[in-house]
Amino acid sequence: MKNIIQIDHLNKSFGKVKAVQDLSFRVKEGELFAFLGVNGAGKSTTINIMCGQLSKDSGNILIDEHDLDKDIDFVKRELGVVFQSSVLDAALSVYDNLESRAALYGITKTAFQERLAELAKLLEFEDLLKRGVGKLSGGQRRRIDIARALFHKPKILILDEPTTGLDPQTRKNLWNVISNLRKNENMTVFLTTHYMEEAAEADYVVIIDGGKISAEGTPLELKNTYTGDYITIYGVNEDAIKELGKEYEHIRDAYRLFVPNTKTATELIIKHPSLFYDYEITKGKMDDVFLAVTGKTLMGGREK
Amino acid sequence: MSILLVLIKRNIKLFFKDKGMFFTSLITPAILLVLYATFLGNVYRDSFTSNLPDTVKLSEGITEGLVSGQLISSILAVSCITVAFCSNFLMVQDKANGTIKDLKISPVKSATLSMSYYIATLVSTLIICFVATGVCLLYAAIVEWYMSLADVFLLFFDILLLVFLGTALSSIINFFLSTQGQISAVSAIISAGYGFICGAYMPISSFSEGLQKIVSFLPGTYGTSLIRNHAMRGVFAEMQNQGIPAQVVESMKNSLDCNLYFFENPVDISTMYAILIATIVVLIGIYILLNAFAKDKS
Repeated sequence: MKNIIQIDHLNKSFGKVKAVQDLSFRVKEGELFAFLGVNGAGKSTTINIMCGQLSKDSGNILIDEHDLDKDIDFVKRELGVVFQSSVLDAALSVYDNLESRAALYGITKTAFQERLAELAKLLEFEDLLKRGVGKLSGGQRRRIDIARALFHKPKILILDEPTTGLDPQTRKNLWNVISNLRKNENMTVFLTTHYMEEAAEADYVVIIDGGKISAEGTPLELKNTYTGDYITIYGVNEDAIKELGKEYEHIRDAYRLFVPNTKTATELIIKHPSLFYDYEITKGKMDDVFLAVTGKTLMGGREK
Repeated sequence: MSILLVLIKRNIKLFFKDKGMFFTSLITPAILLVLYATFLGNVYRDSFTSNLPDTVKLSEGITEGLVSGQLISSILAVSCITVAFCSNFLMVQDKANGTIKDLKISPVKSATLSMSYYIATLVSTLIICFVATGVCLLYAAIVEWYMSLADVFLLFFDILLLVFLGTALSSIINFFLSTQGQISAVSAIISAGYGFICGAYMPISSFSEGLQKIVSFLPGTYGTSLIRNHAMRGVFAEMQNQGIPAQVVESMKNSLDCNLYFFENPVDISTMYAILIATIVVLIGIYILLNAFAKDKS
């Protein structure tokens, strides 16, 4: 897989504030890439620079092998962006909004009608075309935001906290659509999110803090590096658990032990087979990774 | 080209669909209408008759013609500027609510975006001002009609130029604005201030000498005077036909801002047109330079 986004030594300061410091990472074509960080970590600055909205102080950015500084128009055609909050015209209908945004890419008349029909079917908004965007529910509006971002068939879809404020069902539906797009069109998705369960689905994760990369890797690598495993044992008494000499906690109908890694868990099971009739081993969560890396937690859009 | 047309269509639709913006643009003309209906009309009627020599008597038709001419020229002169400003606030709103980010992540040229705001403002303002002119002419026809076809044509031409001026001026001022608070502040200043400085509430001739001199530097003053000249030329012609001395008519033209003076030098109609057109060209040039400079900076 080729690198579709290649960022090297990116720096950006606002006065004395260093928003992005020597940032370098790669995004492979077709992957779901999660870019995590608390508010003010430098995520939006990086995205704005990638989209040509903000100038950089130094560094290089290649999008689909094209230099951002030299081929800004090409780069803009490669990117589709779903902003954190909808930036469509609330007073206009869905149709009018999409017509004006499609025209920005030179998509007008028949080409517009054809693409509109495709996206309306894919994102199921055929019956919303005449409705004012301001009158749509959060989930409906998000679908239109995604349609706007996809109208010119970009290779990279940037999703800036796309599901913040949406109910679980709508979030699930949106992720189904995005997964299908990735599968069918080999689209690269560049995601920023405060929902760690969404980040856990990513192919690769970069965590930034204070404008610098704090950790990166696949979710498994990150979990293995920054968290341990949990063994949940059912149908045993507390005295038996105490004998294992591990840190544990009592949950409703079981005991949960914390072990540094899966190897330790395996050794424990081999050593005390009589205790392990009914049990499960789970990896640490991305929340634990994030907490371990940054010392902060992200809770559904709020930093703690 | 079709990109520009679609963007212009979007901007015009947004202005007319945003009731807040649309009705705000009509506040100053509406206030003027209320002022004339409640007391300004009577103030003018009284002043037209009481300030004349005893030997001169104005017919009721002439008096009504002058009052309606004063009313419609005031409304139209103010509308061309205030409507242009409000319509062009879309440019600022797009910045304030982040829509501009959505427009600028596309490969569309900044010049196309700037031009779309300018042309959309021009078209929206022209639609409103031409409709207002039609209504005003209808009102004048009902009250007392003195205008020739040439006056009507020139009145529309004056409106066109003043709308160009309002659009260019608002484009430059709005270029520097980026928040809703700034929109409200500028909107309030323009709505309250422009009606005053263009002499819509009280004629410029009634201002202090110093203020008159300051106002004579403002190009919009000449636009207002052009509208007044063409709205009231027929009434003055009729006054002369009815044997009212030319001196009295001239004095009335002075008091109603049809005659303007730049440091005691009379400014004729063709000079007024020249000032207005030159200002429009300069302002559009500044707007283009501002956009070019902003692009270089980014």
